[in-house]
Parts: sequence; C-alpha cells; structure tokens
Amino acid sequence: MARSQPTDPPIDLQAAVRGEVSWFCCGTAWGPCSSTGKGACGTCNSGNLQHAWPNTSDACWAITRPDSCGFALSRRTCGFQHRITALCSGTSVVTSIADCGPQTDLFCGERSCCGATCATDRIIDLTPAAYSRIASLSTGLRPCEISTP
Amino acid sequence: MTSRRQLLKSAVLGGGAGVVAATALGSLGPEAAFGAAAPDVEPGAPDPDFAEGRIRSIKDNTLLVLGSNMVFHNIRVVDGTSLWKLGPTSFDQARPGDGLYARGVRMPDGVLAAESVWLNIVNIKGHVSNITSEKIHLDHKGQEVLCHRVAGKSIAVYSDAPPSADLSLLRVGQHVQILGAWRPDTNEVDIATVFSPH
Repeated sequence: MARSQPTDPPIDLQAAVRGEVSWFCCGTAWGPCSSTGKGACGTCNSGNLQHAWPNTSDACWAITRPDSCGFALSRRTCGFQHRITALCSGTSVVTSIADCGPQTDLFCGERSCCGATCATDRIIDLTPAAYSRIASLSTGLRPCEISTP
Repeated sequence: MTSRRQLLKSAVLGGGAGVVAATALGSLGPEAAFGAAAPDVEPGAPDPDFAEGRIRSIKDNTLLVLGSNMVFHNIRVVDGTSLWKLGPTSFDQARPGDGLYARGVRMPDGVLAAESVWLNIVNIKGHVSNITSEKIHLDHKGQEVLCHRVAGKSIAVYSDAPPSADLSLLRVGQHVQILGAWRPDTNEVDIATVFSPH
C-alpha cells in the first residue's frame, strides 16, 4: 500500500497543538534501555534536552502514522526545536529533535487529563532529562502543548 | 521570595537552617518540584542539573553513580529529596547496582543536590505477547521483558479512565506502555503503571 503525507496544511504550522507527551531513553543506558542506541538522528542521549518527533522523514512517517489519528504534523528534521508545555504544571522546556517517534497510530484515541484539561493522542516523546524538567518521570504520560520557541 | 532551588542549594552548602527550610517546603516532590525555575540550557545539549547511571557505592547521604557514558556523579540526598522505587520510597532503599535518573541543582563543587531521584525507573512500550495472572510478557523492540504484577502497587490506566488495579482488560497482541522498576541485571520489571489506549 502506498503511503504518503496528507496535503492539508499541517496543524502545527497554524497554531500550537495539544497531545500527549511521554518519555523514552536513548544513548548509552542501563536496563531495558541498554540496547536502544542513539536514535534516528544519531545524537540522542537520555541526559540531553531532546525529543522524538513522528515526522522526521518518509520512513519515519510510514512507521508512526499520526494521520491515522487525525494529526497532519509537518515534516521537521533532526535538530529542529519545539517548546513543550506541560498542561498540568504550566512548565515548559525547549528541546531539539533527535529521534523518530512516538508510534502515534498504536495509541489512537488515548487521552490524558489534568483535572478538566485533557489532550488526546501521542505526538511527542521527551528524553528523561527533558521530561523531568516539566513533570516527574513517575507520571509516565501527560497532556501537553507543543509550539515553536 | 526564596526559590525551591535556592533552598535546596542552601541545604547542601550550609547546614542546618537550610535543611530545615527545604524540609519545610514539604516534599520536593514529583509535581510540586517542577514549577521551580531551571537555568537555560541549549536545546539538544546535556542538562547539567540531570544525571543518569548506576549506583556504585553509597556513603552517608551521597550516591556515587557511574553514568552510562562513564562519567561519575556525586548525588547528594537531603531531607526534602523525593525518591522513587516503584513508588515513593526512602533513602535506605537505594542499593549499589540500582540504575537511576536524578534531577537537582549542580553545586559549584560538581555535586548534584537532588530534588528527585528515580531508582530503576523504566518506561517502555511494546506488544503484549502473553499474559498470566502474575506477569505480562512484553515484546519490547524484539526483546522479551517480563513485567511482574505487584499486589497493591501495580495499576492500569485505560485511556482517561481512573487508574484501576484491574489488569484483566489487557489483551495479548495489544500495544501498551509500562512504567515500572527494573530488577537490576535481569530482563524483568515490576509494574507500577500500565498505560493502555483502550
């Protein structure tokens, strides 16, 4: 089956977009993370302020398929910066792209809330260093807003 | 107004009054601590106020940690430090060999004064390949991780439904995220939370 990006304007070019944020490990690491590697950009480290984005390339898009959840996220390549704001705390962090992910299509429809403030679908993953700037690692998953710095 | 970070710093530098002040803030923990202003760091760069690695030794209130990048960290735990090991825990539960992530304030002498320390925490995604009453077999990037249900600790979050101790709705073949505590030097994890999209 041929897969291509939708032609509609990507929503994150028009305004900030809301979705779920989680965290992942990369680079040299311990435990189940030890085989993870440096990510699609070859630069990813758990201790760096970095993130994974679902549309870093055609190959990446073919895996993550955020369009299947209704997201037309634009192509952003290695090193591009986003600001991620936790909707629970209001705290934000600016990070750069270091990997492809998350696999948005596998969690379509999932929703996270802080009180009455909610966000649906996974559209970004942060390194532990970045996530722990805006939330405790023990929360695992949070609603957030993503914008450009 | 004195910031949480300033109090933490004074707790390490200056002794008694600082420690009392930090403790008086309540736990420096999880959600509350993350409102504290952190210094600007270039996006993409290492965060000097963060450390990861495995505990080599413990002396008094300091963890000597060898980072996976072979850099050593001295991580100081103070009265207000929040510690996690499958849930909130105390300093005496830290063991040599434990993996960790820590966030705090880097002191002039290089010591990291810890706001939070997460022991053995992992957050992995994968397909459920088998389920028994006690375990979830997770295919994580082609490797099997045995995830143990822990009575009174393990919960499931089915999308935005309230957390539940009932893990019976999970199905073989579905994709999940498991937050838990790694059992050092094994492929096994104790489950804190299973996130399921439905």
